[in-house]
Amino acid sequence: MKPALEFLIKDEKVYSGALSCRGCGWSLLVRHLSSILGENTVYVAPASCFSIISGPYPLNDLKGNIVHTVFAAASATATGVRASLDRQGKEDTTVVILAGDGGTFDIGLQALSGAAARGENILYIVNNNGAYMNTGIQTSTATPYGAVTTTNPNGGFKRTWPKDLMGIIAAHNLPYAATGSLAHLEDLRRKMKKAKDTPGFRLLMIDGPCPPGHKTDPAMSISIGRLAVETRLFPLYEIEQQQYTINYIPEKEVPVTECLKHQGRFRHLFREENYPILEEIQEHTDWYWKQLLSKT
Amino acid sequence: MPDGPRTETATEAAPDRLSEFPRHQERIMKGNYAAAEAARLCRVGFVPAYPITPQTTIVERLSEMVSNGEMDATYVNMDSEHSVFAAAMGAALGGERVFTATAGQGLFYAHEVLQAISHFRLPMVMCNVGRPSIPWNIWSDQSDSLSQRDTGWIQYYGESSQEVLDTIIQAYLLSEQLNIPVMVVLDAFYQSHTSENIWIPEQDLVDEFLPPRRTAEMSIDLAQPKAFGGLVPPEHYYKFNYNSWKDVNKVESLSAKIAGRFAGHFGRKYGNVEAVNIGPQTRLVLVTISSITTTARGVIRKYPDVGLLKIRLFKPFPKASVLDALKNLPENAILANVERNFLGDREGAIQQEMKRALYGSRNLRMLDFYAGVGGKDVPPLTIEKIIYRATHSPEDINWIDVD
Amino acid sequence: MIEIRGHARGGQGMVTAFEILAKIFNKLGGFKVQAFPAFGVERTGAPIQAFLRVAQNEIFNRSNIYHPHLIIIFDESLLEQVPVFEGLKENGAVLVNTEKSPAAFAGRANQIYTVPATRISLELGLGSKSLPIINAAMIGAVMRIFQAELDMALPVLRQSVPIKPDANAESASRAFESVQGLEEGNEYLVQCLYARDAEMEVVPEEILAQSAGVHSDAFQAPFWNVPMSSNKTGNWRLMTPSYVSKTPPCNANCPAGTDVRAFVRLTAEKKFDEAFEVIARHNPFPGICGRVCPHFCEQNCNRNQLDEGLNVGAMERFLGDRLRQRPLKPSPIRYKERIAVIGSGPAGLTAALRLRRKGYPVTVFEALPLAGGMMRAGIPKFRLPDEVLDEEIAAILKEGVEIQTSHRVTVEELATKGFNAVITAVGSHIGLALGLENEHLFAEGITFLRNFKLHGEKDGIKKGDEIAIIGGGNTAIDLARTALRLGAIPTIYYRRTITEMPAIAQEVEEAMAEGVQMEFLSAPIAVNLTKEGLITMRLQDMRLGPQDDSGRRRPVPIAGSERDVVVDKVIAAIGQEFDDFVFHGQKVEPQQGKVIYKGNVPVFCAGDMAWGGTVAEAIGSGNKVAEEVDAFLRGIPYHHDETLPEVVLPEDINYTYFLPSARHRSEFKYNRNLFNDFTEVSAGLEEHELVEEGGRCLHCGDCFNCGNCFNFCPDAAIFVDESGRIRIDYDYCKGCGICAQECPCSAIQFQLQEEETL
Repeated sequence: MKPALEFLIKDEKVYSGALSCRGCGWSLLVRHLSSILGENTVYVAPASCFSIISGPYPLNDLKGNIVHTVFAAASATATGVRASLDRQGKEDTTVVILAGDGGTFDIGLQALSGAAARGENILYIVNNNGAYMNTGIQTSTATPYGAVTTTNPNGGFKRTWPKDLMGIIAAHNLPYAATGSLAHLEDLRRKMKKAKDTPGFRLLMIDGPCPPGHKTDPAMSISIGRLAVETRLFPLYEIEQQQYTINYIPEKEVPVTECLKHQGRFRHLFREENYPILEEIQEHTDWYWKQLLSKT
Repeated sequence: MPDGPRTETATEAAPDRLSEFPRHQERIMKGNYAAAEAARLCRVGFVPAYPITPQTTIVERLSEMVSNGEMDATYVNMDSEHSVFAAAMGAALGGERVFTATAGQGLFYAHEVLQAISHFRLPMVMCNVGRPSIPWNIWSDQSDSLSQRDTGWIQYYGESSQEVLDTIIQAYLLSEQLNIPVMVVLDAFYQSHTSENIWIPEQDLVDEFLPPRRTAEMSIDLAQPKAFGGLVPPEHYYKFNYNSWKDVNKVESLSAKIAGRFAGHFGRKYGNVEAVNIGPQTRLVLVTISSITTTARGVIRKYPDVGLLKIRLFKPFPKASVLDALKNLPENAILANVERNFLGDREGAIQQEMKRALYGSRNLRMLDFYAGVGGKDVPPLTIEKIIYRATHSPEDINWIDVD
Repeated sequence: MIEIRGHARGGQGMVTAFEILAKIFNKLGGFKVQAFPAFGVERTGAPIQAFLRVAQNEIFNRSNIYHPHLIIIFDESLLEQVPVFEGLKENGAVLVNTEKSPAAFAGRANQIYTVPATRISLELGLGSKSLPIINAAMIGAVMRIFQAELDMALPVLRQSVPIKPDANAESASRAFESVQGLEEGNEYLVQCLYARDAEMEVVPEEILAQSAGVHSDAFQAPFWNVPMSSNKTGNWRLMTPSYVSKTPPCNANCPAGTDVRAFVRLTAEKKFDEAFEVIARHNPFPGICGRVCPHFCEQNCNRNQLDEGLNVGAMERFLGDRLRQRPLKPSPIRYKERIAVIGSGPAGLTAALRLRRKGYPVTVFEALPLAGGMMRAGIPKFRLPDEVLDEEIAAILKEGVEIQTSHRVTVEELATKGFNAVITAVGSHIGLALGLENEHLFAEGITFLRNFKLHGEKDGIKKGDEIAIIGGGNTAIDLARTALRLGAIPTIYYRRTITEMPAIAQEVEEAMAEGVQMEFLSAPIAVNLTKEGLITMRLQDMRLGPQDDSGRRRPVPIAGSERDVVVDKVIAAIGQEFDDFVFHGQKVEPQQGKVIYKGNVPVFCAGDMAWGGTVAEAIGSGNKVAEEVDAFLRGIPYHHDETLPEVVLPEDINYTYFLPSARHRSEFKYNRNLFNDFTEVSAGLEEHELVEEGGRCLHCGDCFNCGNCFNFCPDAAIFVDESGRIRIDYDYCKGCGICAQECPCSAIQFQLQEEETL
């Protein structure tokens, strides 16, 4: 990959000073997103780390309006906001939801599905860091197989596969949905722009680095994200009305362990008795990739 | 649950006679439709909807009016009552006048968002058609709304469909002046599905009374972006509550003032409470809310020494209005609170509120009567039994027709 | 009752430490305890607080601690950021984790104790430099303050730490012994701890009557709009990134001292004049170096880890050739001291030019009829065309250096002519002998090359002659390729393998392509003349033994492997030495710079005779000697900094950001029939190829504005200032290290914060 060779953000639409941990994906994600969406944007945030990051009273991290709402119904609040803006002739204002994986895969799924099925003109951003990080790293249905969280009653780590959110989203037949990685900024920004310009309900799922939650070195946030793409643990693709496009096909077959080994939440898998789990993850990753290829 | 045959029409032409109220038209209409008419007349802009018996015909009628152009509103079929109120919150933040309706389980489900809306200081009005919780029961009961007393919403209980319509109009004015949301409650079936005479004001008349929603300080302003909500540290949170508290304190008097203005404008007079036959000669006062009031009105005509106190503004409880209504009541008189709710406590909600209101001012004996819970019909006989029990073998807390 | 308040950063584990302390106090004396954090949403690195109450009897307070008896500061940097001393009781004490003594904090509290908890913890392997785990050490120090018996506390500590119980216990013990600022313990604190009745403070009425003053009639709702930037997250930072310029391997390995990275970048930017200027600062022979230098820069280029090093030589050649005939003027003469340089090779001419530019009159004396030294006499034309050499020397003359050719002089002779300093740079033009019997049968390589180039003498070589060449250096290769062009059949015999050959790899490759035979691991042990006038050479096979002083593996003879070859001519090219005529019989040990010479003039030495063996090394030597002579004549102490710079190594480069791209190879042209063809074999590269080649540079240790640090900063803490310089906003940088990690070229360092620098 080549560096951008330019400063991608010409005009910062966030203020510095956000309450994100070192190496947080949320901040970087919103920094880029806001620079693309501009100030004519209303953000809607259900409970997530971003509720904290974006500023306690009386501070606002964003150069835009942000509505903090209940955990389960960001898509509903955004629906209301959208309706009011449309009634006032502000159809060009972007309404964007900033949700975590818990607020999307779990508690917010119903409202999300409702808004998606209604075709609300809303951009949904899910920062998928694979657990309830804001409350201190609890298992969500986005938590990867094998990962340790603070709530794993069945043997200390998660023993079920994460929900295929993108599959669920695809089934809603949306005009635009895509996955994105902070390690592939130009691809991500292109998708943000495309999502901004596509009317209807669209969703971007971004692989969210979380050093405290993933037990990683904050400096490695981007590098690990890149490895997730290279190992196909987090493939980059777009879905337009169920038409799949894979945006990045890794040149080499990099084993998933190359990505997992940097993350403390998977450290136990590198003990001999857990090698079969690593193999399962590899197999599942290969299977998912093949599924994906078959859809393009 | 089916709401009955669909062949009925929303409104039926009233007998051809002159209007009692100028610039009104008389109709025979169900309470739910009256609520929907009120939303239309208030020029509501956003209606998030979700069906639940016995409220469903409100949102059906609203859908019909939006669809046929009678009403210029955005109507959205949400995925749940939780989402209904979350959407209502979003649109209210966006500056719209919002209306919705729910009942029972729906209200319970929305509990979290009710809190959020009131703490966000968002003006809006919703109708709740009272019914209790699971095991399934769809009949008249006020346990749902009364259990939401502490969500920070103002609550009105309407006695008639006319009162529901009129109260909704007043409620928007109150809500938008104080930035506190309002719940207008009507009884299942005895009001919601009961067709009765109702005077519909002309649109202009309503417009003269209710100005468009003022939005400046409350709403999303693209030119001056703000954060709405988010984390408020302890050292600030209680200040917001303090501010809310100050405004809650204004509700009772402002509600009375608005009702007064309404009377002058529309010709129908409402108080926060209504006293019937309460004077030095009264030895028993029935305290009621909603449709039971009407039946009680009828019964006490037989009992010259029994009075009636109807509570219309229930939350915040109108202490001053209650004390004023009872000011001529002798100290040896008895208050009989008629409860169509069961909240898992010894006493029902009305008695709890009445005791708080009278504490330190009046030392009247108070009896609690559970009657009509779960939609059990409250005919005049039940009211008379209450009067009899209260005057002959009173216990502090009584269940009529059970014990 | 005693009340303790702690100040730390999120992630340092203070809350756990307070919990352990509570357990320890309970164990020590059955105390009632209460340990809790100021519950918040602070993230790793943000300042946080924790509280601990310890009492003999029931504790009647569940609020934060506002007037602590003891304040514990886990992170010294908090002192300047948070009002840590606020509310301390008059007789209360403060414990600070620091290397400093309590005196450093004098005046901030009555009792201050310090303990180097970070050092102790790191010494015991607890945590990392960026996040030391200092819990146990701080607990040990607290035990000391309360004169507690550490032995009773340690079992609790061991049980309470998640890992490394021994190291934690040792850490506590060491800290216990390392508290500065108190002898026994703090009597006041101990008294408070054991006091049976909690202090009943009487609050003055005026405080009780105070109003919080929160009343406001203005409508207030939870909507707000103060920019987040009023929250300065810079105080979360432990490790600090900063932009640095590090030495790239190309620069570090250029003997001439050229800023290779700079001219490569300028070439890529098509700023050819500026690129030339960068080279010309150190090197008057870019055209020559571009052709004949082994390019240590390329050999050490970090790009080799990815694909191949940059073709720096082709750039140098292009830049040199482009401005070879540029107009030049001599610098004005500023000094009266005259300088003589003996030898007009790269060292001598470089030194002469440098000194001439400084304003000294300089005369170069050359024994041969033409200037250029080894460049003239030792490098064949097919590698270095005459016009390149002539014109680069001409440029030096244009700058005012005087050269007297065919003038073989001694130092002594020049001393008498009134020179104030003499630089000897006579090179190594005397071939070394093999030390075998019949040595006279060997022709001498360097002499052959010189005589052929200057006078066209072929030393009897005819078309079809079989020539044996002994050696593995550039002279051997040049000899073989010259012999080919004379129609002979040359074979190189080298006692090691191709890997150890000192000759430039590309030259070896080209020689082989042209048809030069090479036999490795073969060394002559005897030569004899045959009756037919041919030469029999007895060779012995070798194998590689252990490394010798040069770092190469020593050749070891294999007994019984002797064999004979019969050839027309044998030429030895095994090394050269300098001609000591210049010192007029005096025994002088040549070395870089001033040498011990008994005479009337100071003598300095440079070039091959001192060290090295390549043009680039000679140029570097000339540069250095010029500085030394100048300093000597100006009476300034000369000091050449020999400390090695921090060089960017392959492990410092983030290769992710560089795509493989093939090196633009200089085309190697040669005819099938090389007979009498002395035209240049290497074609050089076109301008556009060179620009592309410059684009392959990894910019080791040099920010090239790729944007990564800016684009990846989660905290919007990197900005471009008015002057266009990229900078870090330390008010907001939390020190995550992403910028340093994602910097492709190691131009950001990430270190523990240095107090002085910020």
